[in-house]
Amino acid sequence: MAGGLLPLLPLLRGWRRLLGTAGTGRAAAGSAPRREKKRWLRAYLEQQRLQAAPRRRSEQPGWDYHAEIRAFGLRLREDFSLDLLKTAFVNSCYVKSEEAKRRDLGVDEDAVALNLRDNAELSARGLAFSRSYLTRSFEAAYPLLPGPAVAALVSFLSGPELVSHVARNLALPDLALCAHFPAPPPVLHATFFAVVGALLGSSGPERAGLFVRDFLIPQLIGKDLFEIWEVVNPMGLLVEELAKRNISAPEPRITRQLGVSTVLPLYFVGLYCDKKIIAEGPGETLLAAEEEAARVALRKLYGYTENRRPWDYSKPKEGWTAEEAVSSS
Amino acid sequence: MTGRGTASRFLAAVLHNGVGRYVRQLQRLQVVFSPAAPDARGARQFVEEEAVDFARRHPDVVVYVRPCDCPAPLLQAEYLNGTVREELIASKTSEEIAQLATRLASQSGLDIVRIRKPFHTANPSVQGQWHPLTNKPSALTVRGPRSAPQ
Repeated sequence: MAGGLLPLLPLLRGWRRLLGTAGTGRAAAGSAPRREKKRWLRAYLEQQRLQAAPRRRSEQPGWDYHAEIRAFGLRLREDFSLDLLKTAFVNSCYVKSEEAKRRDLGVDEDAVALNLRDNAELSARGLAFSRSYLTRSFEAAYPLLPGPAVAALVSFLSGPELVSHVARNLALPDLALCAHFPAPPPVLHATFFAVVGALLGSSGPERAGLFVRDFLIPQLIGKDLFEIWEVVNPMGLLVEELAKRNISAPEPRITRQLGVSTVLPLYFVGLYCDKKIIAEGPGETLLAAEEEAARVALRKLYGYTENRRPWDYSKPKEGWTAEEAVSSS
Repeated sequence: MTGRGTASRFLAAVLHNGVGRYVRQLQRLQVVFSPAAPDARGARQFVEEEAVDFARRHPDVVVYVRPCDCPAPLLQAEYLNGTVREELIASKTSEEIAQLATRLASQSGLDIVRIRKPFHTANPSVQGQWHPLTNKPSALTVRGPRSAPQ
């Protein structure tokens, strides 16, 4: 009944309007329908769009998981085996949550199991490989750097904070299957190393090493050694290092100072060994300047100064010659 | 508007891209168009003639073609760092759309704003920051009489 009446409504409105214009006009003005453009509508829709909770990329229109996985491998220019790569993106929390969902829906116990391998094994392999590769390459590149410093560099580069940052900028959160949204850093950490593990399984340790080198080591650019490696007492460490090398203990001297009686004094402390200056550092107090000078001396001793030679990202020699031989034949 | 009023940033690359290896930053391209609207004619022609070629030339970009009842045809580009850019392609020819798609594929997804300097360095000064004692002799330097000019 109501459905039959609805098409008549515009007609009735039209009649009322006609009557309004023909009649007194004043009484009809209040009841006349507003016909202008709904200028609030567009802003309202935009506001709704902005306020909507973020959704997973896989729930939005335009998503083909297989194509995305293939493009991921091609983008990184690596030859992944697709099965391994798909396994690398399955996190254990995802498997658990899916099974719990099925159980809640009342699926019987036999059919609950997903039969999906999760990435725990790949991730462990990838993490172990990356750590050993990074340790080896730092030891080769900076032979003077002591063990704790190398360990600090490696744990910085393979720590969850930095790795999840790298993973986020390689669009791993879109691909990773995870129970939580957005994916938390530990999951991204595990997924990144699972990808390394998958590469290790499909292309061998050489390509996996290059992958780790190309994506993790550039993160050291612009970072200081002592930002990464916490040294509480640099002067004590310097004395130890010099004793190992049979050099006499450093002797701090004020080399320059400025504005000592003001609130902003500046001291330069130089460290002298056998009357030869080994390092000079600035500071606002004498202690700070001495510590800074010790840090400068340590950087020089370890061969990790700011003006060191940049990391060599060229292809390794053996691989290069082999590829040349293949392409020329 | 003066230069100081507009948004600006320094030259940067996502994850120091290109230091280790170059990774194309465009990960997904969606062509959204209406199957009947007259202003989506170029978009339909792009889908018929050029989209496959584009996908072949960029195997690392996933291209989705989405015909839908939408108000205007769009190219929606998603980058690795999460940026989504929507470019209006209403009343554009197929060649123009192909050109636009290629340009989107070569961009990085960082904000397109004024770049303050056309170069970047991780170590701003090789000899260290200037301070009042730069190039001044040390207090400990023993200064002898200058050798007489010969």
